[in-house]
Amino acid sequence: MPKWAMAIDLDKCTGCESCMIACKVENNVAIVDPEQAQAGRVMYWMDMMTAYESEDTQVVRRIVPKPCFHCDEPPCTVVCPVGATYRNPEGIVAQVYHRCIGCRYCMAACPYTAKVFNWYAPKWLEDSACRPNPDVSLRMSGVVEKCSFCSHRLQQIKEIADLEGRRIEDGEYVTACQENCPTDAIVFGDIEDKDSSVYKLSKSYRVKRYMDDLDVKPKVFYLSRRTTE
Amino acid sequence: MNIPERTSARADSRLEVREGMRIGAGLVIVMMGGALCILHASGCRERKVEQPIDYSHKTHVGTAGIACVDCHQSVESGIRATIPPLETCKGCHSDTPLTESPEEKKLLNYLANGGEIPWNKVYQVPDHVYFSHRRHVSRSKVTCQECHGDIASFVNAVSFQFLPVTMENCMKCHKERNVTNDCLSCHR
Repeated sequence: MPKWAMAIDLDKCTGCESCMIACKVENNVAIVDPEQAQAGRVMYWMDMMTAYESEDTQVVRRIVPKPCFHCDEPPCTVVCPVGATYRNPEGIVAQVYHRCIGCRYCMAACPYTAKVFNWYAPKWLEDSACRPNPDVSLRMSGVVEKCSFCSHRLQQIKEIADLEGRRIEDGEYVTACQENCPTDAIVFGDIEDKDSSVYKLSKSYRVKRYMDDLDVKPKVFYLSRRTTE
Repeated sequence: MNIPERTSARADSRLEVREGMRIGAGLVIVMMGGALCILHASGCRERKVEQPIDYSHKTHVGTAGIACVDCHQSVESGIRATIPPLETCKGCHSDTPLTESPEEKKLLNYLANGGEIPWNKVYQVPDHVYFSHRRHVSRSKVTCQECHGDIASFVNAVSFQFLPVTMENCMKCHKERNVTNDCLSCHR
């Protein structure tokens, strides 16, 4: 059974926000009115967070991508009263939208604030270039949603690999953010596979796990030569 | 001295109430049963769909011996089985009718006037479900009949779901075949 994980190389990341936009378009994340966005109801599955990096005497303020960390021991699944969020055998923390009652306990429990709440039913412009992706369902208002590691892509890749009678190769299952990263800073793959690039990166001396002291075992880790806070 | 009288009066009224409730409950059950019988007989649980041509699968599959894949061409290679376009009908039907059926005349009209036949969808999977025919037919060798019924005996056009598209039906079959019932394997 594979276990999916992501590595984000902050030495390569330029903070261009392509991953954020790619994710928003790929996953039909609702576009919120400017006034509502100002009120803090803006929706991103892949958000950018501020980090301070220091090297010798220099301190640099920069933005780094922050998806859902798909923890191995997720705090969000424990607090859900209806079982709408759970960790599947492949390590993906999933959200079942039709079970979600919108109580937002999971949002409060998540230390990374990776979950977002649908305040409005998504509106899509007719005859626009920004039409919803048919591979991903449209969420209704009043439910919590989050990054799914583009699991709709996994469904199709799994099927093709199954038909050809082989395992999913390293680099076959790519997420939208990884695909659109201009500097290849995002690496995604099976961390159980010892030959995969994400496994090799996870053993690097540059690895930094965000809020590692919480012991939720996040499966997204950052790589940086500098001290990041 | 009055106390026992009071209690007995209360007990009597309680008995009456209980009796009334019993009769009421009985009536409700009988009425519900009757309603269910009527609903079932009228086929209310099945969503009836009208089709532009009363297409007979029996004539095509049963009598003429055409295989499902011959018309529903991407059932083994694609996510959707696809409803065949008029081009597929043209393979056998031309200007001269093969039978005296009035339904074939309708088809010949469509052939003469151009445009596609406005078939109506019977089986529809909601947008939050990933269902692939390729996976079920090519990989897992599920026969068409298991979900769509003995299609070779259908005289009239397909108008209702043989196996209703519900999560219950999907999960039942997955359980029987030891296939994963993980949410993310089908939902998206």
